[in-house]
Amino acid sequence: MSAKIQQLGEIDRVIHEPARLMVVALLAAVAEADFQYLRQATGLTQGNLSAHLSKLEEAGYVAIEKTFRGKYPLTICRLTERGTEVLNKYRKVIKAAL
Amino acid sequence: MNDISHRIANQNPDVIANRLLQKAHNRDGLPEIAIGVFFLLIAGMMWLTVIFPPRSPIYVASILGLMLTMMVMPLRLQRILKKVRRHFLIEKEGYVEFKPANLKRSAILAVLALVIAVGAIIAAYFGAFPPSSWILAATGIGGGAILALAGRLPRFYTGGAIMAAAGIVVAFARVSLEAGFVILYGLMGLLSLISGCAVLLLFLRQPAE
Repeated sequence: MSAKIQQLGEIDRVIHEPARLMVVALLAAVAEADFQYLRQATGLTQGNLSAHLSKLEEAGYVAIEKTFRGKYPLTICRLTERGTEVLNKYRKVIKAAL
Repeated sequence: MNDISHRIANQNPDVIANRLLQKAHNRDGLPEIAIGVFFLLIAGMMWLTVIFPPRSPIYVASILGLMLTMMVMPLRLQRILKKVRRHFLIEKEGYVEFKPANLKRSAILAVLALVIAVGAIIAAYFGAFPPSSWILAATGIGGGAILALAGRLPRFYTGGAIMAAAGIVVAFARVSLEAGFVILYGLMGLLSLISGCAVLLLFLRQPAE
């Protein structure tokens, strides 16, 4: 089996899950986004998105900050440097293998 | 979700992000409303240049207005949309801060636009411009293609097809170039405005989740 295909075995499983991949891909494309924007853009349910964001935060790929804009509460999510590194590695592995 | 999972598993993260962002951008109908207003303004000012004699005050004001609108509005559009969304729609749409524009890409696009404009002026000077009918047909077809690609939703494909068909009809109608542009831009503006307003109303009626 070629080395490139074998690399698929090392894919980060936290990011590879489709819903989390959507979230991470979106956060990589923007500076920051709040929970409501992510929910609308990905089409995930509130509970589902919350669970995936917790997993990404645990892994250190996403930073979550709770703040306010006037009286409106915001849960702002950003991709961390670690998250960006892992996504870039994921991109390379997928492109090479496919 | 299973359909999405299957599609996502086979795609580049950048492609996924672009599609999701594009869909999110067009969700509330505001970009279409802005484009509709822009094209109706252009059509209106062009119409004034058709009906008023050259060098009349209204003719000159229309030309200046056209130049100002074409230069300023595309640059300010994103900022205006951002302000409206943050002020009025943040509870429905959420909050997002986009990354700063890619300066290299913007510079390349600006240079390309300048080269095309200069080329068109030189061609016109040497009388090498194609017939008006070709220009009108190309505007309709090109505009329709851009609309379809920019939106990638059924309503944009429909609008694009209508634009392309209108370009061809106007080309065969043997109207002057200016009148042809007024018709095409007016039609595009009207379609975008109606479509955008309809989408915005539907969006506002969605129950809060």
